[in-house]
Amino acid sequence: MGNDAAREEKQLRKYLTRRLLQLIPMLLFISLVSFALIRLAPGDPVMSFVTPNMSPEDVERIRANMGLDQPLYQQYLYWLQNVVTGNFGYSLLNQRPVLDQIVERLPATIGLMGSSLALSLILGIGLGLISALYKNRWIDRVLSLLAYIGISLPGLWLAMILIYVFALKLNWLPSIGMRTIGVNSAWDVIKHGIMPCLVLSVGSIAVYMRYIRSSTISQLEEDYVQVQYAYGATKGKVLFRHVLRNVLLPVITILGLSLPEVITGAFIVESIFSWPGMGSLGINAVFGLDYPMIMGITMMSSFLLIVGNLLADALYGVVDPRIKAMR
Amino acid sequence: MLRKRISWVIALLLVVSLLAAACSSKQTEPSATADPSSATSGSSSVQGGNLIVAIKDDPKTFNPIYAGDSMSLTLGNVLFAPLIRMNGDKKEFVLAESLTASDDLKTFTLKLREGLAWHDGQPLTADDVVFTFNSLLDEKQHSYFRGSFVFEGTPMQVTKVDESTVQFVLSAASAAFESSLVQIYPIPKHIFEGEADLEKSEKNYSPVGSGPFKFKEYRAGEYVIVERSDTYFSDKAKLDSITFRIAKDNSSAVLALQNGELNVLRIEPQNYNKVKESGKSEIALFPSGAVTTIVFNQNIDVMKKQEVRQAIVHALNKEELIQAGFTSTEFAEPASSIFSPGTLHLKTDLKSYEYDQNKAKELLKAAGAEGLKIRYAYFNASTPETNMALYLQQKLQEVGLQVELIPLDAAALNKKALNKDNTDYDMSFGGYNMGFEPDAYKVLYLGDAAYNFSHYKNAEFDQWWLQAAVETDEAKRAKLYEQIQDLSADEVTTYPIAYGKSILAVDKQFGGADEAGADAVTVFDDFTKIYKK
Repeated sequence: MGNDAAREEKQLRKYLTRRLLQLIPMLLFISLVSFALIRLAPGDPVMSFVTPNMSPEDVERIRANMGLDQPLYQQYLYWLQNVVTGNFGYSLLNQRPVLDQIVERLPATIGLMGSSLALSLILGIGLGLISALYKNRWIDRVLSLLAYIGISLPGLWLAMILIYVFALKLNWLPSIGMRTIGVNSAWDVIKHGIMPCLVLSVGSIAVYMRYIRSSTISQLEEDYVQVQYAYGATKGKVLFRHVLRNVLLPVITILGLSLPEVITGAFIVESIFSWPGMGSLGINAVFGLDYPMIMGITMMSSFLLIVGNLLADALYGVVDPRIKAMR
Repeated sequence: MLRKRISWVIALLLVVSLLAAACSSKQTEPSATADPSSATSGSSSVQGGNLIVAIKDDPKTFNPIYAGDSMSLTLGNVLFAPLIRMNGDKKEFVLAESLTASDDLKTFTLKLREGLAWHDGQPLTADDVVFTFNSLLDEKQHSYFRGSFVFEGTPMQVTKVDESTVQFVLSAASAAFESSLVQIYPIPKHIFEGEADLEKSEKNYSPVGSGPFKFKEYRAGEYVIVERSDTYFSDKAKLDSITFRIAKDNSSAVLALQNGELNVLRIEPQNYNKVKESGKSEIALFPSGAVTTIVFNQNIDVMKKQEVRQAIVHALNKEELIQAGFTSTEFAEPASSIFSPGTLHLKTDLKSYEYDQNKAKELLKAAGAEGLKIRYAYFNASTPETNMALYLQQKLQEVGLQVELIPLDAAALNKKALNKDNTDYDMSFGGYNMGFEPDAYKVLYLGDAAYNFSHYKNAEFDQWWLQAAVETDEAKRAKLYEQIQDLSADEVTTYPIAYGKSILAVDKQFGGADEAGADAVTVFDDFTKIYKK
């Protein structure tokens, strides 16, 4: 037995090492493609620093100062060389180090994305199960209707309605930002986060719910469920011991696949609610053709995405040991 | 890869709209005129209170010699004091006590007030002023303002005369020198001396200023808090503090204003009624300094004909054109001069062109340009431009002109406009915000100027601009600028459509907005006047 565990651990370590090593070429490829794409976009960032009374020499000086006078491949190599040493360069817009700015905003984004994922999973799975268990009863119909509405609701519109109702009319929640000025409590941050989190989650709650509902229903019709019942298992035991396990496995795949949506969703939601995260930083960078910042954020979100998927894969092993054994 | 694709599409969309924003706002110089119509007098003013002012974004910098965006200029204006300020259309000495020019307009002597101090208690002296100018003149420091102090290719010389006197020596005469000092806020030498790259200095983020408010806290993406400074030489601020809160989204900001989470917010015309009806805010409508024009590309032969240009503007009803673009003349005033309201030597009684289709047809016939085909370029992401272009197309069709609309993205439009040999379209819209100093406009109107998108060339016209820049006699200078405006109107070198307006909503709990002077760039000219009722 001990031998088995050791072998398993070794295998897992090997697997993780391999996956982590795969990160390198993947990130390299992403960086190359993003760099090329960003530069292919029309526009010249130097133009936003030019005032009418600057001479052409002044303009060229600005270009050189931004490092944009070099051939493209050299700029890329220079960028890459710096990144390897942990230097993501300076923002063209505010001249502060890119990495500092990302790091200072990362907690707000991770917090928002994390709570949104958690909310989606909890509500999605819970409501999905209820829907499946009460198939075609009134509660299922109401939930299904809500899910369709949730899938088709435009986030921007929902955000406005929420602010109007909960901030302006009921005065329960603040409408913008992450903190009340002068208040420094976790509860205050949570209060500010409720609406952005809800807007970011509504779509995925609905998706998870629909998915859980249909797969639970089909699992409940499987032979093994009938066998369990025949052995005298209770409904709850069947559901949580056996069915849920089979239903949850693919949820992890959906979770991995929905990560990009959460990240891009955060870009928009953060802007609406002035949530001080990476998303609103990214939108500014794109608006301002801030090349180093766009690269920094692209790399950071790609990294989050890849690691997220890696975690999802690792979770398979936890939920279903057979998968771990197969590797 | 899906994410990449989505974000790339978003990116492209944003890039396009951004450039428009950049194009329309980057030529800005600070200090437009203030003429707020909000009346909040009659209550007693109290010391204290915190005002929450919405800003669109993080300030790009807290160092005023790099301030180019409205957020940085706004913060710069409360944390730092300028040498000279424009209040309304009057110049007001702030840190400076006087500025005297030599007869040849090449040597200027600036005298500072007595007893000035930085927020850390250090005295503010001529050394700081010299340091500031030398820093911004230093090519290695990349200040926006360098170009304003280089004359005929040579940077001016700045020397300290005594503790409170500084002398500027220019290599060429400049009648506009005093005006170019308006944008300068001295920075402390004792803080920045020895910094290799001021622009990237960490010290920019713990600014030590000389203005009515001192820096307290900055949280990226959230807010900047400033509090009343007791070292300020002039009237101390009435408020205890101001929070500049970052509110990115217009619609949610309007709701936050109604909810009291924001006290001061710049609003868009489409939200005007909503805010007004809520009854929580006083609303000030005032000229933003922006001028919207029609540009005739005179690289195209037929556009060189005065009659053709006159015919085109006779075919347009200016009021309808403004309604098409700005929904109502309430939000944009019909323009007559190429100068914005509040500009020195603005002339208002210029030749105007009434809406007269027959006159237009006659003029076209006389010019032999009947049935002319016009290619009209406009910025495709701008609703006002799109609507005005459609109106134009219809109106010009009515006098027999065929208009082909060419919607372009900002980058393409910008590139074509900056090309001095541009013949890709015949007409387009123009827009600028040049401030109160008429000399600043010459970069748009001199024959070979980079921003002369109309490519109108006239040696005599150029001569007037150049002469006015060095004219020492104020009356003669005024005459020259009047000639310029007259000629431009007579020949329709460019057709001014409208003067833009800004709308500022101020929570009724606060007063003093009138005296503070609403400003399109810095929110208020002088925040010290604002008080909590």
